[in-house]
This record gives sequence, C-alpha cells and structure tokens, in this order.
Amino acid sequence: MKIAVAYKWAADPSEASVSPDGQVDFSRAKPKISEYDAVAIAMGRALADAAGAELVGISAGGSAAATPLALKAALSRGLDSAVVVQSPDLESAGTFQTAQALAAAVRHLGDVTLVVCGDSSIDAGAQMVPAVLGGLLGWPALTDVGAAQLAAADNRLTAERSIAEGIQTLVATLPIVISAAAGALAAPAPGMKDILAAAKKPSQVLSPADLSLELAAAAPVTAQVKVSGPARRCVQIDTTDPATAAAELLAALAAAGTPIGGRS
Amino acid sequence: MPFHLTDEQELVRTSVREFADAEIAPLAATLDREHRPPLESIPKLADMGILGMTIPEQYGGSVSDYLSFIVALEEISRACASTGVMVEVHASLVSTSILHFGTEEQRQKYLPDMAAGKKIGAFCLTEPGAGSDAGALASTATKEDGHYVINGQKIFITNGSFAEVFIVMARTSDQPGTRGISAFLVDRGTPGMQIGEPEVKMGIRGSSTTPILFDQVRIPESALLGEEGHGFKIAMKGLDGGRTGIAAQALGIAQGAFDQARVYAMERVQFGQPIAKLQAIQWMIADMSVDLEAGRALVYQAADLEDRGQPFADAAAKAKLFCGPMATRVTHAAMQVFGGIGYTDAYPVERMYRDARITEIYEGTNEIQRLVIARSLLR
Repeated sequence: MKIAVAYKWAADPSEASVSPDGQVDFSRAKPKISEYDAVAIAMGRALADAAGAELVGISAGGSAAATPLALKAALSRGLDSAVVVQSPDLESAGTFQTAQALAAAVRHLGDVTLVVCGDSSIDAGAQMVPAVLGGLLGWPALTDVGAAQLAAADNRLTAERSIAEGIQTLVATLPIVISAAAGALAAPAPGMKDILAAAKKPSQVLSPADLSLELAAAAPVTAQVKVSGPARRCVQIDTTDPATAAAELLAALAAAGTPIGGRS
Repeated sequence: MPFHLTDEQELVRTSVREFADAEIAPLAATLDREHRPPLESIPKLADMGILGMTIPEQYGGSVSDYLSFIVALEEISRACASTGVMVEVHASLVSTSILHFGTEEQRQKYLPDMAAGKKIGAFCLTEPGAGSDAGALASTATKEDGHYVINGQKIFITNGSFAEVFIVMARTSDQPGTRGISAFLVDRGTPGMQIGEPEVKMGIRGSSTTPILFDQVRIPESALLGEEGHGFKIAMKGLDGGRTGIAAQALGIAQGAFDQARVYAMERVQFGQPIAKLQAIQWMIADMSVDLEAGRALVYQAADLEDRGQPFADAAAKAKLFCGPMATRVTHAAMQVFGGIGYTDAYPVERMYRDARITEIYEGTNEIQRLVIARSLLR
C-alpha cells in the first residue's frame, strides 16, 4: 500500500519583491518546499507509519523541480521515495495541468489509496489542486483536514476538520485525496541524518510522454488587469492593558469595515 | 576563488535556518536578559543531529563534512550567538579532540552521549596567568598510585556550569613552556572539582562562563587524552578548527544584524520615504554586504581546506581575524541604521552588537591571529 504526498518546488514569497505598482517579482526568490507541503509530508509520514505503508512524494514542474537539490529537499522531509513529472510545459502550469500530471503519477505508482496535499501552494495559492486531482482520479476530496486516521483494513479514513461550530469528524471511504490544514501539526525541520539519507533514497523523473499523458493546453482563463493594494492606514493603540488593547483593536477594525468573527 | 556549496550543504543551511528561526531565535532575548544557558535547546539540537555533526555514525553521530558544520554554526549564531558558542565548544573543540586523540575506550565512553546531548563538553585551557600565553599554564597533574592528581585554577570556561565532560590541560613534568603539558578527560562531579559562579559578561550572556578550581582532583591514568606531554599540541589542533568555528559564529551574528537592518531600512519612513532610499543608508547596507561576503569566503575556505586534509591553521586564523572585527563593524552599522530604537532591547541588534565583541577576543585575540599568520609567512 502506498500513500502519496503532492508537493511543489515553489519560489519562496518571503524572498519576492513587490513593485510600487503591485506586481510581485519572484525572479530572485529561491525555491523551497513550502511550510504547507512540509505539514502534508509530516501528516503523510504519520499515516504511513501507522499503516505500514510506503510514503511517495509526487510533484510536477519544469526543470527546477527535478534537480537533485529539489529531490533531496523533498526526500529529507521524510518521504521514502519521489516521482516528479517534469516538462517545459509544466514550467508555469496552472491548476488543471498540475492536477493532470499528479493524477498520472498516482496511476503510474498504482496501489495508492490516499493522496495528501498541502493547504495551498506558496506561489499561486489557488487551493484548487486537491479538488481537481480528486475529480480526475474519480476520488472524493476532503480539504482543510486538521487530523486524520487511517483504518486501511476497513478501507476507511477518519478526518477531523475545524469549523465555526467546533471540530467536525468525517469518515470517508478510500481511495481519497485530502489536503492538510495549514497548522494541522508541527513539521520539524529535517535533521542532519535526514539530509544525508535523502541522497540514498530512490526517485524517478518522468516526462508526460513516459506516462502517456497529454497535457491540456495552458489556456489562461483569467488575465490580471490590475493590482490595487489597500491604502495603508495607521491606527496607534497606546495602552499597556491587554484587554483594553484588544477592545480598541476590535473597535478600530470594525470602524474600518473589517469583517470580524469565525467562518460561517 | 568561486565557492559552491553542495546540495547537502545548501540543505543544511535551509534546514538549520528553519530550525533556528523556530526554536533558537525565540529564546535568544530571554537567555540574554536572564543570563542563563539554553539548556532547553540541548535535546532539540541533539535531535536535529547538530551536536553530533563532528562525530562519526559508529559513535552515534551524524557526521558531516566540516563545512556543513560551519554552515550550521553560522545559522545557529545568526539566531543566538550564545547557543552558537555552546555548540562550537562542544562539537568542535571537545568532540573532535576526543575523536582525534582519544582511545577507542574513551571514544565509546563519551562520543555517543555527546552526540545525543546527554553530555555537553567544556575545554579547560585558560588560567588567570595563561590567557593568550596558553603555554604559561600552571595547573599540575602529578602521578600517584596509578592515578593523576590535578591541582590548579581554570577561568573563562564556556559551558562550565552544566558540562559533563571537561578536557583539562595540566603540567605533567617540569619541562618549561608548552612541552610539559598533558590533556585529561575529567567527568563532572569528580571530587575536588569546584565550579564557580558564572561571569557577568557584556555579551553572549546566555553562554555559561565559569571559573573551575581543581583541588586534589584524582582521576585514573586512563583519563589521559593522547600522549603525556602532548597536551599543548592537542589544544592547538582543537583551537585551529575552533577558530574557523568562532569565525562562523561572528559571521552568523553579523548576518543576523544585517538581515534585521535591511528589512528595517525598507520599512522605516523618514523625510517622507523609506530610509533605504537615502544614500547614507544605502552605503551602509552595501558596505555591510561586502563585509559579509568577504568574511564568508574566508570562513568557508578554511573549512574546505580542513575537509580536504590540507593545512588550514593559517586560513582559520585569517578567517577569524577578519570575521571578528567584521562582526563588530556590521553590528555597529546595523545599530546605526536602526537609530535610537536600535539602542533599546526592542530589536535584537543591541544584543548582537554586544555579542559580536567577544569574537575578537576568545579562541585567540586578533593579535594572536596576526601572530599565527605572520609566523606562517615568515618561517
């Protein structure tokens, strides 16, 4: 039995710069495994250990995604092996092409009963891949999972999600695609032994042709016309009493028209 | 000389930075304010494999090349210089000395526990009358019935208040200067060993620095590290690698201050614009960046020479001689970028400014580094 974790070798937004007209420049940002994907890998690792399953990383991208550095960075996080679908056509792939490539990787692996995704990518941030991937595989997709338990013998996954009313517990039949909530669990930095071990773990780099995959044309369905950031306003709360500070902050946010409260 | 880190060295940097940002940096101000060592970080540093980076796998370590260890030390020190020097003394000075000069029995006894963080190391060389002139040390170890008995006073011992294993340099013969010195492994709690109150220091206040009195401390002959009379050689070999380590600590402190100042310069608005638009600030940022890159090249070169088995004492001295004053310059400039708020503890630059200064002094002052370099050139 295999559990797959989808991850993205994506430019770090903390190293991107924003021009005065609001354009984000990623050209000098180094790629990394995001904190969201690190959580997904940690969740996958825990589930795989409990179920005695193999944990395989799957990714899709251009040439950078298949470099030894990218593979080792992913493998050092606790994956047993990795499969990367690499193509120039995936260099700036949208949600659909990415999900197509990941679905092909899942089929290639066979015996996958669960795919764990991160909450979001750090560059595009569309949060759509888990749902589209589930659709392409014909599997259900469950997002924002805070905790999960696998009962492989019963072919079931129990998932907890945080909702406005409290914690929602759901039971789903395998196979399934889930995405781990951003703070679902602590994902520790890889240790020195993990880094050394990463180079010895198996990995495969495949082209779409290797997988008999025809990627959909990258037809943009939206075009960015303008980015207008909110005007910066400065409200100073000057008190040493935390309760007063909180009350004043809420009042200031409400006065500015900021929606306050949990999800509904 | 172009320098490219390997994938593994790059991953050590990103991984240790992620770890240090999450686990080490949040403690730094508290350790400094409370003058206490980062004991709670020891199990975490062990789990990460950082305490075992200079220890081979067969002894429970996560041995890497020395340059990887140096990169890790730089990143730890970027977050907290006190934690940096604790790791440096433990992993570079003490573990490597036991690995290179210890018997198999000594390695088995200490190294697995040192990699696991169960035993932290300390290095006892300095004495009231023997600072830069380490060869003038006066502590003695006399042989009595199959034992050595150590008497003497050591000062400025890093990790002194909590270390479990101490490498102690003492005289075993009347030969003058460096020739009569031997090295010993002494366990904490050996009767007669009195660990004094930690010093109150200007910086690296989270590093424990204590005097230690040895009063009739009786240890078995098997506690001799290396050969009798070879202690000074062991100390100098340890200090050569240690100098690269302290240079990396200085580099990390400077990088931390630079990163803070760069962000602040882009956010702080004066005269209707971010101060980063002012040429006065731009020049400071540019100069700091050049200093950092030059220092990094020297430090990595020294570590790389050691990894390749080449003579590196001269390169390590050059790296330390450049990086100590460089860290002082960069932290000084960083505080200038911050202005008045930088002089308060609202931002970490004032701590970094105080932490940087010791890197010009310990493990060989700037002047001793010049001596080492000049001697290697004028032989």
